[in-house]
Amino acid sequence: MARVQALEAPELRPVVRVRRRTVRRTVETALWYVALIAMAVVTVFPFAWILLTSLKGLADPIFSVPPQFLPNDPTLDNYTRVLDSLPVPTFFLNSIIATTATTALSTLVAALAAYPLAKLRFRGREPIFYLLLATLIVPLQLTYIPSFILAVQVFDYYDTLPSIIFPNIASAFNIFLLRQAFRAVPNDLIDAARVDGARELRIWWQVMLPLARPTVATVAIFTFVVSWNDFLWPSLMLHDRDTMTLPVGLAALQGFFANDFRAIAAGVTMTVVPILIFFVALQRQFVKGLGGAVKG
Amino acid sequence: MALVRRYVGRGPARFLGGRSLTPYLFLAPALVLIAIFLFYPIASVLYYSFTDFDIATPPEWVGLANYQRLVRDPTFWKALTNSIIYLLATPTIIALSLALAIVVNRKLRGIHIFRALYYVPAVSGSIAIGISWRWLFDRNGFINSALISLGVLDEPIAWLAEPSLTLAIAMLLTIWAGIGYYAVIFLAGLQNIPEELYDAAQIDGCNNLQKHWHVSIPGLRPQIVFVFVISSLAALKVFDEIYVLTGRTGGILDSGTTVVFYLWKQAFQLNNAGYASAIAIVLLALTLVFSIVNIRMLERRTDTT
Repeated sequence: MARVQALEAPELRPVVRVRRRTVRRTVETALWYVALIAMAVVTVFPFAWILLTSLKGLADPIFSVPPQFLPNDPTLDNYTRVLDSLPVPTFFLNSIIATTATTALSTLVAALAAYPLAKLRFRGREPIFYLLLATLIVPLQLTYIPSFILAVQVFDYYDTLPSIIFPNIASAFNIFLLRQAFRAVPNDLIDAARVDGARELRIWWQVMLPLARPTVATVAIFTFVVSWNDFLWPSLMLHDRDTMTLPVGLAALQGFFANDFRAIAAGVTMTVVPILIFFVALQRQFVKGLGGAVKG
Repeated sequence: MALVRRYVGRGPARFLGGRSLTPYLFLAPALVLIAIFLFYPIASVLYYSFTDFDIATPPEWVGLANYQRLVRDPTFWKALTNSIIYLLATPTIIALSLALAIVVNRKLRGIHIFRALYYVPAVSGSIAIGISWRWLFDRNGFINSALISLGVLDEPIAWLAEPSLTLAIAMLLTIWAGIGYYAVIFLAGLQNIPEELYDAAQIDGCNNLQKHWHVSIPGLRPQIVFVFVISSLAALKVFDEIYVLTGRTGGILDSGTTVVFYLWKQAFQLNNAGYASAIAIVLLALTLVFSIVNIRMLERRTDTT
């Protein structure tokens, strides 16, 4: 007991110092929050402004000095006006179909190609690898003129969803990420599976894929985001309102409503909110997946 | 186990020493698709670049005419200059997203909400954010009314109709939208840096800022390289932002026209697919040169460390 007191007594003075330090820390924390909030306002403001505008009725000015933030006369009319003239739900459905198909097929094709490049020896491995490496720097826009002709004359899928799925399946980038992950799988595991009589396809499915799951998720997330937001190629392929994806539909909506900013704002809100909810729900996986792309 | 390994360890080499078709079957889907959608188009674009071609009728050989026209085309030079200027967005994005990641990498309550908010622009899509920005910067838009009511401006400015500002606003949009996305990549890297390194730096007498300079930045090297490559290739290919902000025109006096935008305009608006193919070949050359410079610079930096 006495020893404890002896230990505690000299600490009495530092308590004051600690308290001062906590005050300093509280101030510091507060300043960090101010910075974080300021940054959040900068990132989110345009969306908030669009959302508020989409709820404004005709009596509410959208171009006024000073700017009016909250609608006095909130209404959903702008939304019904958009939905009456453009099939936004169809845009959604098309985006979901095209993005899901592209993501699934691209991940599958890349995972298949990455396995022999990472773990098998065969003639031509090096040339094939370097050929793929070289394709990484080719800007895709370069291919649009011939791909356009292929779509119209050869594959006959112009103005249908396959036209935006098939050209985007093979991705050298995805092959590389997965090859890196597969290389980290110990050879012993593969050899052991071979001793057990497993064929290569089974090794790929039962050993490689489960062990590389985080990278598979990363590849899928990257492909999903890119495909969901892809605009230029889909805008060349999709012209019928029933085949448009969201970005193409949004651009059409902007043209259609010209200066009716309330309607355009409603259209933007409708397309952005669901995808935001989706990403906030998947936040943890998304952050982990993005981070998993690069390893030290 | 050792016996098994000795027996099987050499197995794959013998078993797959060039005879088995298995590796090729695994590679086949990717290679076939890449051949159709990448190699064949590159070859045809090269061919089209020597022809007069409008997509609808068969191409006609014209030799170097398209390239001669390019050299004399002021719009093309404008687009090339703009694309190179656009590359300046990359270092800005890296600096800002790195700073943001360091700020956000802190154990504060509710920090994950902020992280989520910061990548909202990245997942909303360039068309949606482009439309929002177009209206913010409209002559009657929010930016003007806010600045006028704050007394900064007397008269509204037609931001997007101002040739000297078009490209800058597009770049600002790219930077704004990219920061959160790239910060997430840096954040993951920061979380892999061992805490002891910061402690050691503190013992060595580093203050907070110096700690990040000496520990965080070297520790994030792979991420910095990755973001540099990804964002600069994206900057060379910028299209969506220009398309929306300038209302498909490329800006007054082509002020916002980039190489890809000009390629699109010539090929799909003006039906000059042959001429556009020549632009595409220049784009390819530009990307190649840029990548080689990139690789050289990265190699040199690796040598010195």
